[in-house]
Amino acid sequence: MRFVHLVTFSAVLLAVCALTAQTECSDSPIFTIRAEAGHFTPSQLEVAANQPFTVRVTSAEKTPIEFESFELRRERVVRPGETISVNMPPLGPGTYKFFDDFHRDTPEGAIVVK
Amino acid sequence: MAARWPAAAAILIVALQLMPVHRSNPPATADLSAPPEISSMLRDACYDCHSNHTRWPWYSAIAPVSWIVYRDVAEGRRRLNFSDWDAYASDPGTARRKLTQIADLVIAGKMAPWYYRALHPRARLDPAQRRIIARWAATQAQGAGR
Ligand code: HEC
Repeated sequence: MRFVHLVTFSAVLLAVCALTAQTECSDSPIFTIRAEAGHFTPSQLEVAANQPFTVRVTSAEKTPIEFESFELRRERVVRPGETISVNMPPLGPGTYKFFDDFHRDTPEGAIVVK
Repeated sequence: MAARWPAAAAILIVALQLMPVHRSNPPATADLSAPPEISSMLRDACYDCHSNHTRWPWYSAIAPVSWIVYRDVAEGRRRLNFSDWDAYASDPGTARRKLTQIADLVIAGKMAPWYYRALHPRARLDPAQRRIIARWAATQAQGAGR
């Protein structure tokens, strides 16, 4: 009986993994940034060079924010309570700043590629 | 005393010309692709500030106008550069955002800026042309995914 449970559990686990793999469990790493109370947390991400990655931006602000980076050519609106996924290309070493274009007093953040 | 002012002004204007302004066109990587009718309107009305194909006008060599033109081109390219479209497109949400802004600003008559339209007749889009661009951009935005 126990064995049957174990098999069922493993099967479900496998199925879930296979399903999520299509959307997110790809090789590229995922980083998360939270916008809350006029700050990005963390405000700095360290990322490996020459490898694509994804940045998830979650906003706990009360009004929409605009996650933007001139260097990275990215510009995305994030509504209150929303989480978005931003695709990033493989990048050379360097510091790539990002900011909230709707709230310019929010301190800038940076993606540091090493 | 008063007679010295014109001379001082002339010297100042000459001196201003010595301050360097970089008028360059970096290589264009990948332009936005659009139907010919749309891209020709965008080229005429937007590319001087929003691409790496800027046609630098003669007056852009003369200070202080050169600083204003330079600022517009630098800020315009930073915000929206049609020559970098493939970079935006690698994040569909960003491409969608840019296209939505193009539609909104063009239909509202806010782009190209009025002072640019005043100097560049070909950048004066009539309401029908604005609608064509806005409709195209809005449709593309839907296709770009979220
Ligand atoms: C004389 C230079 C100039 C021309 C020509 C011009 N723009 Fe702009 N544009 C700017 C500048 C400067 C900014 C940034 C400051 C601002 O928003 O006013 C800007 C901002 C924008 C933005 C906002 C981008 C963002 O991410 O905030 C869009 C969209 C835009 N322009 C579209 C256009 C379109 C479409 C045309 C042609 C119909 C056009 N512009 C023509 C100078 C120009």
